[in-house]
Amino acid sequence: MSGFETNARLAEVLADVFSLPVDQIVPGLTKADVGNWDSLKQMDLVMSLEKEFGIALEIEDIVRMDSVDNVIRVLESKGVDLGA
Amino acid sequence: MELEGAVVLVTGGAKGLGLAIATHLQGQGAQLIVADLDAESLGALPESIEGHVLDVTCPDDARAMVKEVAERHGRIDILVNNAGVIHSEPMVNILNPAEMMHDYDRFRNSITANLDSVFIMTAATVEQMVLRRTKGVIVNISSISASGNEGQTAYSAAKAGVNAMTVTWSKELGRFGIRCNAVAPGFIGTGSTHKALSDTIIEHIQSKTPLRRLGHAVEVAKAVTALIDNDFMNGAVLNVNGGLTI
Ligand SMILES: NC(=O)c1ccc[n+]([C@@H]2O[C@H](COP(=O)([O-])OP(=O)(O)OC[C@H]3O[C@@H](n4cnc5c(N)ncnc54)[C@H](O)[C@@H]3O)[C@@H](O)[C@H]2O)c1
Repeated sequence: MSGFETNARLAEVLADVFSLPVDQIVPGLTKADVGNWDSLKQMDLVMSLEKEFGIALEIEDIVRMDSVDNVIRVLESKGVDLGA
Repeated sequence: MELEGAVVLVTGGAKGLGLAIATHLQGQGAQLIVADLDAESLGALPESIEGHVLDVTCPDDARAMVKEVAERHGRIDILVNNAGVIHSEPMVNILNPAEMMHDYDRFRNSITANLDSVFIMTAATVEQMVLRRTKGVIVNISSISASGNEGQTAYSAAKAGVNAMTVTWSKELGRFGIRCNAVAPGFIGTGSTHKALSDTIIEHIQSKTPLRRLGHAVEVAKAVTALIDNDFMNGAVLNVNGGLTI
């Protein structure tokens, strides 16, 4: 699978969870930029990422994911190839 | 959810409705764990049911027990919040002018026993379900009194609170694949009903019930099974009351 597709998959997940247009999902986007990124949305994000990428996230990973950048880092640490 | 092999924790399962629920679920192939205050009744349980002495109003003890059970069995699939204490007391007792009003301490105790207990056990169990990614089921035992039963201010308020938590959790925990439902029994012919109500009142209740009888404990147990079995039921409060409204 190409990197482009993997990134597109991640952008789709994030856009879907936070109800944002896909083109607003950029690496620099942080929790503070997204109005509805609260603890419930965080769990929606976790469940969606686990399902989409077939991974299991630990509590430390969940806490670290406070920006798109950090979501990417966590996914890469789980062996997800985002083609960066 | 399939009951065969499911790990089920029933609170207040040493006697009464809880025991009927535990026995019924075990009959469907589930592994039963019962947590109850009453050590003597726990001692009388069949060996195939794992008994734990626990006060479900004590958060630290509940959390420790639930964690230990989840570690040993690998998970908890189902929690039935059945432990509760029926409490009847009028808001105004004109026959006792010196202490005419409903006692506040007894109000609080009833809320703790019937509402806080459900919160405490659910928090402890859902923690384990979320950490272990168990797509579990919570079933709360509410009551017909949740719609406001004369002479039961605290108990009615607690059970109405249980219904509200049931719906809230169905929304909040659905994202984890955890479902939450409640069963609201009417008047069931258990020891506690006969202890709490006089024969005259029981006769009156029966005459007001469209089916003209009290319910059987197993009928409540069957409703619990239905809520566990049906994977699209979430946030439901299932009445098992013979058609009685109060
Ligand atoms: N019996 C009925 O007609 C009826 C009707 C509607 C709702 N309910 C509800 O069904 C549930 C069971 O009622 P029951 O009639 O079987 O009562 P019961 O008194 O026969 O049994 C309740 C069990 O819960 C245990 N328990 C109570 N407080 C506890 C605590 N703090 N920690 C651990 N265990 C505790 C008791 O030791 C007992 O074994 C209750 O929630 C009650 O409100 C019963």
